[in-house]
Amino acid sequence: MSNPIVQRELLGLLRTRRALVLQVGFAAALALLVVLRWPTDARVELSGAQSRQVFRLFGYGLLAGLIVLAPAFPATSVVREKRSGTLALLLNSDLGPWSIYFGKLAAMLGFVLLLLVISFPSAAACYATGGISLWGDLGTLYGLLVLAALQYTALGLLVSSYAGSSDAALRITYAAVLFLSVVTLGPHLFLQGNSGLYPELAEQLRCLSPIPAVMETLGQMDVGSHGFPAAGGVARRYALWASVTTALGALATIGRLNYRMLDRARPQGKITDERSGAVRFLRRLMYLVDPQRRKAAIGTFTNPVMVKEFRSRRFGRFHWILRLVAACALVSLLLTYAATVGTLDWGVETIGGIMVLLQVALIVLLTPSLAAGLISSELEGGGWDLLRMTPLRTDSILFGKLASVTSTLVLILFATLPGYLVMLWIRPEMWGQISHVLIGLALLAVFALMLSAAVSSFFRRTAPATTTAYALLVGLCAGTMLVWLGRDAPFGHAAVETALKTNPLATALSVIETPGFTDYELVPANWWFMGWASALCLLILLVQTWRLTRPR
Amino acid sequence: MSQNDPVVVIRDLTKRYGRFTALEGLTLSLDRGRILGLIGPNGAGKTTTIRILVGLARPTSGSATIAGADCLREARAIKRLVGYMPDSFGSYDNMRVREYLDFFGAAFRIARSARIRRVAEVMDVAGATYMQDRYVESLSFGMKQRVAIARTLLHDPQVLILDEPASGLDPQARIEMREILLRLAESGKTLIVTSHILPELSRICDQVAILTRGRLRAFGTLEEITRQISPQRTIEVQLAAPDQVAQAAAVVRGAVEPDSEVAGSEAESLVRFRTAKSEAELGGLLAQLVAAGVAVTQYRELQSDLEDAFLSVTRQDAGTNHLHAPATAGRGAAGRPSGDDS
Repeated sequence: MSNPIVQRELLGLLRTRRALVLQVGFAAALALLVVLRWPTDARVELSGAQSRQVFRLFGYGLLAGLIVLAPAFPATSVVREKRSGTLALLLNSDLGPWSIYFGKLAAMLGFVLLLLVISFPSAAACYATGGISLWGDLGTLYGLLVLAALQYTALGLLVSSYAGSSDAALRITYAAVLFLSVVTLGPHLFLQGNSGLYPELAEQLRCLSPIPAVMETLGQMDVGSHGFPAAGGVARRYALWASVTTALGALATIGRLNYRMLDRARPQGKITDERSGAVRFLRRLMYLVDPQRRKAAIGTFTNPVMVKEFRSRRFGRFHWILRLVAACALVSLLLTYAATVGTLDWGVETIGGIMVLLQVALIVLLTPSLAAGLISSELEGGGWDLLRMTPLRTDSILFGKLASVTSTLVLILFATLPGYLVMLWIRPEMWGQISHVLIGLALLAVFALMLSAAVSSFFRRTAPATTTAYALLVGLCAGTMLVWLGRDAPFGHAAVETALKTNPLATALSVIETPGFTDYELVPANWWFMGWASALCLLILLVQTWRLTRPR
Repeated sequence: MSQNDPVVVIRDLTKRYGRFTALEGLTLSLDRGRILGLIGPNGAGKTTTIRILVGLARPTSGSATIAGADCLREARAIKRLVGYMPDSFGSYDNMRVREYLDFFGAAFRIARSARIRRVAEVMDVAGATYMQDRYVESLSFGMKQRVAIARTLLHDPQVLILDEPASGLDPQARIEMREILLRLAESGKTLIVTSHILPELSRICDQVAILTRGRLRAFGTLEEITRQISPQRTIEVQLAAPDQVAQAAAVVRGAVEPDSEVAGSEAESLVRFRTAKSEAELGGLLAQLVAAGVAVTQYRELQSDLEDAFLSVTRQDAGTNHLHAPATAGRGAAGRPSGDDS
């Protein structure tokens, strides 16, 4: 460890309680996955199918854990130093940008590698069941995961060098990881089976994601291929693309690690009201709600905390929300239009499924960003004590904060309704299904809000609060899908149904009758689960907030 | 409560965190319209005292009242009575100064029209009007301090509690901050101010409380404190010629206490000594010097300042008994190098 940054970052990270919790939790989760599917039958299956099932579950679990955990630390690494002023000290030292970058990269990667090492006992258990080759299966899986870790670490560091705050860096990094891992699969899903330039580009694009490569290694390349023959060599192409994107990300970040990052003038606070009429008109067109206009005083009977949240939030300011709403409405209508005019022969159910997926992705991506900083950002910025010194009651503070996020979420969810309306117009008999989907989505939004806000009250900094909220939500929506992936073999129908009853995404897909989810009766069990879980989170939030407002 | 009653009354206030005692048996009171300087080294218990006073911390024992309201039991009344400026600003992103103050005004339930006027008034008092359209997170430290003062004034509190208001300010800003605080005291506000910049405090404070390791070591006016800390005074005798320094020092030694320090400097033509003698006895000593043929051009007492008092207390607390020793190096007579002692 001749690079002092490696020592400081890695050892510093390993000394934290958070790192210990992550390591223990990660090892326990993987062990649980293997134990769940450990063969209980005394007979040995010579085909090796049973051990493959265990291996698949383990492989997907490992990948899911990596996608959630790997970006968290690099995403805050540079921006945290920038905010605390230590980046200026590093840039002023003998360490050049290359040393700083590779020191950070090695430290962050070192932590992820440690997590992979922690998974070795579970991997060994899979190997012990037989039917899996050490290098061909396990070796390739770990090689791909190391590449994915490298790719996400480089991405996190790049985002971190641009971001203005730790929580913004986390949000953007997770959005980028989601894009790289999931959204890149979309075009291929639409265009597979066709020939020409676009299908070929789509085929290459999906190789940016580690998911098809891991699926190929686990022998599940045909999932989602709709019967089309799956192209081989995905793992090799992913290795190439991951190396290229990592190298590009590294070069871009190293290029930014210099004094220009810190050479910024303080914003002078231009006011639109004082600008020319033409500029005011253009800004009105551009923004609808101009963030630089002089705002009116808060109304006497308005909750001041709610207004403050709208005005001061780091993410989700009104002009961006309006643009997002417009984009949501457009995508929702386009999807429904494509389904109804027969451009795509997937049927209304599949299109409905895609809409549900997009809505759940929106809720899971946006809600922690909006709500995980409700309390923690106040504690971090020193505003909490100032709020405590005002006559505002705890319930008033909480109401203002929750209302500001709720209204934003309602706006976004309503923007996706036109698609359903078109569906209803075409097939009015779908009213029952759509109303059930909407109830499920609303419950998910409430749960995501309550969970993120409750998590927020346990942290003094927004970045770890946001990461934890994301991890819990993604764990609930994607984690239980691991059980669904192993439906019938290795998991039985009852086990899958029980697991999916906790999953709002699966419930919505089941209601809209998306292929693969039609056999499960998840309503109203999932609604009860979401309702009680939301109530529990609200209770935790109330107790925590009450505790935080008491003299200590 | 009457106008003459103390506004702030602290009785036997103790705060313990587990086995660590942050504050022990603090007792003091402060009259209306006065400025109390709360000083002490880092970890002395200043911020703990302040947090108890504003209701953010719960004392282990003892009580504190502000304008008759108990700081622990009457939290709502305290919030109305006290304007608190913590040592951290409490910034919000994307908010301009006017919006920031408007939010806190609304949080204090000031009606909209009255609030618009009040925000303008407090910005004027704090000299922050020119930055009303700037984003708060982009303000310099000095600007933020002004905005913080304006924020504490919004609800027109009787008592202002300011934690390190002059910390990090440049000399010009420090002078301006001092003027703002003096104006506030003149307008009838009672102020409790902590600071590490002792000369600043000594210029504005009516009373000073020195805390070390959670205990009150000295409390009173600056004059009372210096007397309390050291009963000895430093007297300086300026001579017309340097060749009389030894003669003058000999006369002084004969007149003052045997253990008193007497230092002479031929380079400066002066003799300094520390003594507990009365005014009359010091007058007699001057007569002796004149009678001995020493040409005295000046005969005066050197004033101890807050820095001397503070250092004296903290040294005493550290276990080295400097109560009667020189207060500072390089300040005052006793602090001079003793090599000139003749």
